[in-house]
Amino acid sequence: MKLIRTNPFSLNRVSDFDEWFRHPFAGMPSLSTLFNNLGEVFPGVANDKLAVDVHEDKDNYLASFEVPGVKKEDVKIELNNGLLSVAVEKREKDGDKENSYSLTRSVSVPEGVNAEAISAKLEDGILTVTLPKQERSKPRTITLN
Amino acid sequence: MNTTCSPSSCAPATSGVTESLRKPLYNVNGNAEAYEVRVEMPGVPKGGVKIDLEDSILTIRGERNATVPEGMKTLHRELSPLSYLLRLRLNTPVDEEQMTAKLEDGVLTLRLPLKEVAKPRQIPVL
Repeated sequence: MKLIRTNPFSLNRVSDFDEWFRHPFAGMPSLSTLFNNLGEVFPGVANDKLAVDVHEDKDNYLASFEVPGVKKEDVKIELNNGLLSVAVEKREKDGDKENSYSLTRSVSVPEGVNAEAISAKLEDGILTVTLPKQERSKPRTITLN
Repeated sequence: MNTTCSPSSCAPATSGVTESLRKPLYNVNGNAEAYEVRVEMPGVPKGGVKIDLEDSILTIRGERNATVPEGMKTLHRELSPLSYLLRLRLNTPVDEEQMTAKLEDGVLTLRLPLKEVAKPRQIPVL
């Protein structure tokens, strides 16, 4: 499994485009709608996307993707310009020949995530990406002297 | 092979059981020796699958792990927390004793060897 952090300042068409959809994924069911609409405009772009759940506690965000049958070496995770992208290669044996196809999904990462500390694990066909919050974005209790 | 789930008690439609289950995606391949059933069950751990063959009905049940980690708040949800149930009627006799099952990366692969009587036979011309 590779965790690649690409240069956030590199400008290319894709990242410019993503900029439009950029907002924290907290309460963002509309994002998937946007991506679905995108698929209507550009067939094939948003099809075959992976299903995702996003959870949060005080220390971490957790993104879980359903990837049954996918091996560790066929998973690529990338953080670019505040967008977490997961791409997997699925290989299926059909008799003697092997078919493979790609599935992808991107979610916007909220501000205040410690990008250096993002980790991922693959278990029972579920890919879990842990995005730790930075110290300053955790709730803090201030005690009065 | 576990037999805790008989086909009739697993079917919500016929028994009126309130538990909700969903049908997983699956593929069946076959050759002259065996059928191979491949069932996608993401989130089912090893030991969470029960397979039962009774009256040529193959019942596969997979218990899904909890999708929401304890103590966490859900921000966005697409994954279904429901467990899986697949029932297949076999129209060919299979060798029950030689059935094998393997759960790997959320995919169950079931091999159902055909009984000798069901295998194609070459008849030599004398």
